[in-house]
Amino acid sequence: MTLLPWRRKTEAPAPDTSSFGDLALPLLPALYNFAAWLARDRGIAEDLVQEALFKGLRGFSTFQPGTNFKAWMFRILRNTFLTSHSGLNAMRTVALEDEINEHTGAPIPENAIDRRTPELHLLRLSDAEALERAMNKLSPPLLEVLLLADVEEMKYREIALLLGVPLGTVMSRLARARSFLRRELAQVNEWAREAGQ
Amino acid sequence: MSEHLSPLVLNALADGELTPDELRSAKQHLEDCLACSSAALDECLLKSAVTRLGHRHQPSEVFAARMAAMLRSPGTKVRMTHATVPHARGNALSKWAMAAVLLLTMGAGALMAVLSLDHRNAASQREALTAEVTDAHIAMLAADQPQVLSSDRHTVKPWFQGKLPFSFNLPDKLPPDVTLTGANLTYLGRQPVAQLVFTIGKHKASVFLRGTSTTNSSGFGATANGFHVIEFTAHDLEGIAVSDVDPARLAELANLLRAAQTQP
Repeated sequence: MTLLPWRRKTEAPAPDTSSFGDLALPLLPALYNFAAWLARDRGIAEDLVQEALFKGLRGFSTFQPGTNFKAWMFRILRNTFLTSHSGLNAMRTVALEDEINEHTGAPIPENAIDRRTPELHLLRLSDAEALERAMNKLSPPLLEVLLLADVEEMKYREIALLLGVPLGTVMSRLARARSFLRRELAQVNEWAREAGQ
Repeated sequence: MSEHLSPLVLNALADGELTPDELRSAKQHLEDCLACSSAALDECLLKSAVTRLGHRHQPSEVFAARMAAMLRSPGTKVRMTHATVPHARGNALSKWAMAAVLLLTMGAGALMAVLSLDHRNAASQREALTAEVTDAHIAMLAADQPQVLSSDRHTVKPWFQGKLPFSFNLPDKLPPDVTLTGANLTYLGRQPVAQLVFTIGKHKASVFLRGTSTTNSSGFGATANGFHVIEFTAHDLEGIAVSDVDPARLAELANLLRAAQTQP
């Protein structure tokens, strides 16, 4: 794998280039969490993280001090996943219609948003198990964008740079991911209502 | 009224990605459009729920320690390999001493890493719990009424029978301007909990009761999004009170709930 220097400037202070461990160790829970969601297996997640850390350690000389170390490590981890057996299997299905034309507007269907009263949604969201099941059904391209935006709290531009996709694709995938979760939770709610009748 | 906000705008609103002009325009629209306000609230709640759930995978202590040892002493590992070959016939005692020092260093590093991770995990769990109870309280405020609507403790408490793996008491008497409004069955950390809804003056308060958790979160107080959060424990129960009322009034209610658990 080629380790490209990470060029996006951040407000973070320049890291101490002499200590990869000091920078990488605090990221361990986040890296593992990301890997576990993508791989859906604890053992594979551990292997992915360990391999990514090795790669990061080896390529640390190419990392530019003062740039975004977290995004750099997440990119290495993601590339490690993509080239792994489980990653290759999982990424075979990629939404081809993801690209959006930013000049003509978003092709996200209006029904991606449910404008009914939110009470039902609030009840659905209290069901963490249903939400987890729905997240596990997301394809990796949608899941990774959702995790980077909502769990790692990265900005759209940061995610676009990390994934190497246009900004519009990030927005499109995020909207599709949330729309999918909403539909899944609505279905769970519908089943619960029918069962209660 | 202008056209509804698009799904992309609602997403960007929840993600804090709108430009100042776009944000101003969106806010103006939301002031007049109930449907979009509802959708925006839904969007924020979904994001919040994903954020909470998204942190669920934690590395095992063994794995964390192994990675910590690897990261803390990568240079050492290389030096060991290189050093042992040319000096294979050297002083055996110094090699053993070096190995012992290296093992101690790695062990100490791993221990520090595990302790540090534990500390971060506990803080992270506390933050997640605060966010979760605050969200549940906001959801209660947004809902028309609780699942069981009653000011009678003899109605509210029995409603939970068969729904919770524990029982609890409600106070015999409440201060003059405090009333029990009702209750919800909700979930915290994927465990069923009782959400008791009270009115304190013109403010609403939620008190969540659950079986004592294994997390180290007892006795904390916090403020999140303008809401005060007070946690208490009583026997086998853990309680969390949430409200935007004066913290002293909330603490008073929390104390009454705690005292009630000692009643037979």
